[in-house]
Amino acid sequence: MSHSLHRYGNKEDLSNDYCIYARISKKINGEGGGVKLQRIYEIFTSEDFVNYGSLNAGCSHLSGLDDDEYKRILLNSSGIIVTYSSLESVRNVLKKLKEENLGVSIVVSGLIDETVKTAHQLDLKPHTAVLSLGVYGNTKLLPDEDTLKITTMCGHSLISSQIVQKAKLEVCNGQCASKAAMAIERPCTCGIFNIQRCSDLLNNTLDNESD
Amino acid sequence: MKIDKNKCIGCGSCSDYCVMHCITAQDDVFSVNEDECVDCGACKKSRVCPVDAIYMPEENYEYPRCIRMQFSDPAVEHPEMKAWGRGIEHDKTNDVLGKFKRGEYCLMLEIGRPMLGVRLYQVESLLTKLISLGFDVQKDNPLFLLMTDKDSGKLKSEVLNEKIMNATIEIKLFEHNVVSSCEKIIQLLNELDTVVSVGLLTRFDDDGSLPIIQKLENIGICVRPNAKINVGLGRPLVD
Repeated sequence: MSHSLHRYGNKEDLSNDYCIYARISKKINGEGGGVKLQRIYEIFTSEDFVNYGSLNAGCSHLSGLDDDEYKRILLNSSGIIVTYSSLESVRNVLKKLKEENLGVSIVVSGLIDETVKTAHQLDLKPHTAVLSLGVYGNTKLLPDEDTLKITTMCGHSLISSQIVQKAKLEVCNGQCASKAAMAIERPCTCGIFNIQRCSDLLNNTLDNESD
Repeated sequence: MKIDKNKCIGCGSCSDYCVMHCITAQDDVFSVNEDECVDCGACKKSRVCPVDAIYMPEENYEYPRCIRMQFSDPAVEHPEMKAWGRGIEHDKTNDVLGKFKRGEYCLMLEIGRPMLGVRLYQVESLLTKLISLGFDVQKDNPLFLLMTDKDSGKLKSEVLNEKIMNATIEIKLFEHNVVSSCEKIIQLLNELDTVVSVGLLTRFDDDGSLPIIQKLENIGICVRPNAKINVGLGRPLVD
């Protein structure tokens, strides 16, 4: 599946939401892949990032994933994904990856125009895109769009609408938005849930309530 | 998933995390409606149970129930595809696999996503319609392991009522039919009683553009501003 695709939002509130995924194809370039992923992990985390995680370990960096344990897991892994809240970090990571030329497939999830422009600035030639054409079917069964902006940041659909509603209520009652975002993030152990964007969205709720 | 009634203290923290809304209070303790549960494990992964009462019962690892976790819990490796996340990887590594060349597209229908889930009989209904209309449904996909008849798309009868978080149906399209096929298929999706997240894999043109976006928008299909972009760093590169 495409778990970092289909994140709800408009250009403005997606401007701080990027994921970079490195993926080895075991049949094509799998040899020595674990060591390459360990190096990519160092590059990914050399810039400001929001989170990463491990399905294998069952927790994310923000939930206490041990760095050494994660590096060990990467040795037998086929991919790593890290979440960022600034295009500047994405640009710097791509620049370093290009310089190291590790040969691992790199996929950026984020705004199309900004990502392509950044790639071209670095003299990279984007190869393939997976576009989101939206959600169809009986969409009346879905929660409201503001809730979906938060829940769809876990593409595996492990964030419930009621935990988001509860967090919104708690923020309106004075709880810190970043603390509420951390509570929402808990089931998303692969770390692609952007708690920084979530905090911003929860604070927007508060602003809208007070208008 | 199940909740150990002898351990549960009735705090209800887990129910807030259930995407399927299937954890409810009964006689001062909480329990899981197992027919509605997709075995995604979000309740357990949230680590909010103060007495560690949530567990995956042994019988849920048995066929056909085990299909639920294979299509719902991203931490469960698909036993045949040997991959996590519903067993599909080529959307991430097309720069080295070269499965989709310029002028070729892959329409990715993630049925049940987001958040609603889907019964496999609903998946079968869509699958058989697509195949009967002549669409080239891709076979390197875990759904094909559940079929009795690969020509019709019929699934094994014992799996039909299993509820999963989502499954992906992939359809190969070409320059001459991509726009009309997207339009036709999206019309079919609107008859469903669940939701489908629709993705389209496409190659960049030599000049770095994605002309398909304008073509789709010309017929009223809006393309979201965010996408997944393979920046071409994989080696050996298949141009």
